[in-house]
Amino acid sequence: MPEAPARATIRLRHSPLWTRAFHSFNLLVLLVMAASGLQIYNANPVFGGRGGATVPELLTLGGWLAGGRDWHFGFMGLYALNLGVWIALLIGQRRRKLGNTGDLGTLKASQNKAKRRLSAHRLVYTLMLILLAFGLITGLAMYKPAQFWWLSGLFSFGEAFGATSWQTLRVAHFATIPAIGLLMLTHVLLSWRIGGLRLLRSMFA
Amino acid sequence: MTDPARLNRRQLLGLGVSGGSSLLLGGCALNGFSETVGNATQPLNERIEALMQGKGPVPLFRREQVDPKDLLVNSFNGVPRLDPARYRLRVDGLVGRPLSLDLPALAALPQHELVMRHVCVEGWAAIVAWSGVRLADVLALAGISSLGGYLAIDSADQYFETWDIASALHPQTLLATAMNGAPLPAANGAPVRIATPIKLGYKLSKWVTGLKVMASLTERRGTWEDQGYEWFAGL
Repeated sequence: MPEAPARATIRLRHSPLWTRAFHSFNLLVLLVMAASGLQIYNANPVFGGRGGATVPELLTLGGWLAGGRDWHFGFMGLYALNLGVWIALLIGQRRRKLGNTGDLGTLKASQNKAKRRLSAHRLVYTLMLILLAFGLITGLAMYKPAQFWWLSGLFSFGEAFGATSWQTLRVAHFATIPAIGLLMLTHVLLSWRIGGLRLLRSMFA
Repeated sequence: MTDPARLNRRQLLGLGVSGGSSLLLGGCALNGFSETVGNATQPLNERIEALMQGKGPVPLFRREQVDPKDLLVNSFNGVPRLDPARYRLRVDGLVGRPLSLDLPALAALPQHELVMRHVCVEGWAAIVAWSGVRLADVLALAGISSLGGYLAIDSADQYFETWDIASALHPQTLLATAMNGAPLPAANGAPVRIATPIKLGYKLSKWVTGLKVMASLTERRGTWEDQGYEWFAGL
């Protein structure tokens, strides 16, 4: 055991119940949105269109297109609400939790490992919020392209590269899955470096 | 003495493996709850959609943005061939003057063109120029009753749709007889189809033969809606 034996007997300090519940709920909502989104993806793959490669059924939720839409639009409200609460909470603690240009400087110059990890983590949190908001905006632009025509219209920049604004939107909305996946992986690895199993357990157990 | 940390790590790994696999397997089991989730959330979503839809027109596109190859063809029962000479559009239900309109009668009404984004429930979209008469004009000609809250749309291929009357009366809801400046091709619904930028593609019935104004919805809400698609399907 690399850990000092004395530490193992210390009672695990749980994060507050509401933090744990919020964190797990976040994870659940993201999983539902991603899996049901992939189900919708399969009805007409973003890459390749009709006849394009589909996502394995194991990763999808809903069973068929209408089922996927049921979940996706059933949970979108929770997703938005969750994101709103999360952003509000983090803005309340922005000095401690949200990234800023100083963090970039820390990552570039500092030799203090703990400080670097904290800076990296703050940047990951911030990026994640931006990406989640981006997922919501691109989703809304496709869910209600007539009502939010001005939002869908923002994506016409793709026309300069020969892509319709709709295809640009579809790619952008889909890209939130790998992007958030990558950030989540970074978040887990960074948390592991900071608190290891104890931190993990304090968040989930 | 057992080391509690190690024991817990094992437990945690076990939990992770079982949790992960149950998530994957649970995905399939959860599919059965899709409708429950839909039923729980759709009424609120639809109410918000209807509120936000508004009465005003949706901004349209430029004719040069039309890309004919973007428009894919979906049909649930093949392509019916209707004889234009014998074609009649029936308008009945809660109307003052039930109508049976032939194509010249439709052509005599004011014609409108919509260069709109046609959005399919499957996820693709195409910019298409549909032209024809306003559905509202045809319903006005028939003298729609103020009791009419819904419109049932019959198609030659037995496809069936129902709409809320506000969407049917929207100024951009057309009975289209032409596509991209040419007569409507058979595969796209000749001689008459619905076109509007405010609803998903499966609401835009092709080969329309009958319109019926109703006070309330019946058991059948639509070919795809009865299978589980959303009814309002606003964009």
